[in-house]
Amino acid sequence: MAATMQLTKVESKLFARDPIALFFGLVFPGLLLLVLGLFYPGFDEPAADLDGRRYIDVYAPVVLVLGLATLGLVTLPPILGTYRQFGILRRLRTTPVHPARLLTAQLVVHVGVAIAAALITILIAGFVFDVPFPQSPLWFALSFLLAATSIFAIGLLVGALARTTVAAQAIGMGIYFPMLFFAGVWVPRTVMSEGLLTVSDLTPLGSAVQALEDSWFGITPSATNLLVMLAYGVAIGAIAVRVFRWE
Amino acid sequence: MAIIEVSNLSKAYDGTTVVDGVSFDVAAGETFGIVGPNGAGKTTTVESVEGLRRPDEGSIQVLGLDPIRDRFEITQRVGAQLQESRIQDKIRVGEALELYASFYQDPADWRELLDRLGLGGKVDAKYSSLSGGQKQRLAVALALVGSPEVAILDELTTGLDPAARRSVWETIEQIKASGVTVVLVTHFMEEAERLCDRIMVMNHGRVVAIDSPAGLIGRIGSEQRLRFRPSAPIADEDFTALPEVVAVDHEGSQIVITGTGNVVHAVTALLAQRRVIAEELRIEQNNLEDAYLALTNQDATSITVEEEN
Repeated sequence: MAATMQLTKVESKLFARDPIALFFGLVFPGLLLLVLGLFYPGFDEPAADLDGRRYIDVYAPVVLVLGLATLGLVTLPPILGTYRQFGILRRLRTTPVHPARLLTAQLVVHVGVAIAAALITILIAGFVFDVPFPQSPLWFALSFLLAATSIFAIGLLVGALARTTVAAQAIGMGIYFPMLFFAGVWVPRTVMSEGLLTVSDLTPLGSAVQALEDSWFGITPSATNLLVMLAYGVAIGAIAVRVFRWE
Repeated sequence: MAIIEVSNLSKAYDGTTVVDGVSFDVAAGETFGIVGPNGAGKTTTVESVEGLRRPDEGSIQVLGLDPIRDRFEITQRVGAQLQESRIQDKIRVGEALELYASFYQDPADWRELLDRLGLGGKVDAKYSSLSGGQKQRLAVALALVGSPEVAILDELTTGLDPAARRSVWETIEQIKASGVTVVLVTHFMEEAERLCDRIMVMNHGRVVAIDSPAGLIGRIGSEQRLRFRPSAPIADEDFTALPEVVAVDHEGSQIVITGTGNVVHAVTALLAQRRVIAEELRIEQNNLEDAYLALTNQDATSITVEEEN
């Protein structure tokens, strides 16, 4: 336990020393919402094609999921790839501490940054744009937790399979961008066609956005959305653990 | 008492045998070298001792323990530096030591360890800012931070410049002096000769010889060569008449006399008697590198012969 704590402490310091990861993981989601809200015409006014809701209301949960996806699919896999490529995991195998503890430490650090990034986003949404704070906080917390689980499970699987830093980056990015599309980063889910929406619901990010949006505005998230995330988290997480290569 | 006992160790990867029936013992407090050409099976051997690889055949005991079955105990008591292994670029030296110290039940005082290895001033330096020699000394520090009884160092000085290599050697001499048993894989015969009590020469996955450095050199003969330019002509026959002289050759204006036993004294006495001065005199003896090349080439020749048959 002491070793895991020490590993987490060191890995969080290392994360903080990576300005790019720090910017995109921690600051970018909130900043994006701020910039869009302040400078995109009509972003914080009721919109006809959103049934009178504002774009900022619909976009706040999208930004949260974007932050999670950046941490889980862009930041995490190359770190794991590097740790394998440089023999850092292998070196740990010669100590009394199993390298799995290093993965645990990485997940703790990433989830911690994800929560901090979400808090920043929620505060900006609330104080700058009058988006109410999440109205079903427990459902919201559960949705966020499941979203994080499913996304980090995918990131872990990429990190488990990629031999090198570059491979991990490439695979992570290859999943990241299509997933962002289904999450509604470029086209809001509200204006997606019926078929596209169904596909989106079947992706962890699409379900995450819907569940977070619902619970944010006091609607109980649909079982489908929660189960989709749970299924991805458990299934892919289990595969990742099984196929993980230490060297 | 043997600290490490390896008996008939064999390991194959994808059907290719890399270690083939290797046996050796390492005594307490001994510094044991493993040398051999690339692909000789050195790293696989030490990684099996570390418990990183599971032998296909044979048995390994380290401190009376099985490296695979008694994993936790072994990792507490055996420190390792792996070939081509590194740590996180942005970790500071002090953080790395503190982190690794937290893994062990009875860690060494890592600040004192850093001072001893000449890294005391680098506590706050990031790993990526260290020189090659400093990185390797840090690798040694990380291998020793758990107060191990055995330290296994795999190609510690490969890629270092001569000055850095010497500073790492001094580090290893300190480890020896502190009573830790050391297993050292190296490509440098000068390093093996200076540091090791005994050396195992491997080739093609097999043990070619295990002996002290002097013993290995002795195996290829104790011939010595005298090379000099005589100040006055002297006949070859005068030298060959000496019982110690085996051969006399000429290289330009120099005479090269090969002999055994007390050949140096016999030749210089003859020269003094004839009032001939040996100018540019050099005496050459076989060193470990000659022995190593002879031992490994010999094996290569016999393999070729087998293939031809």
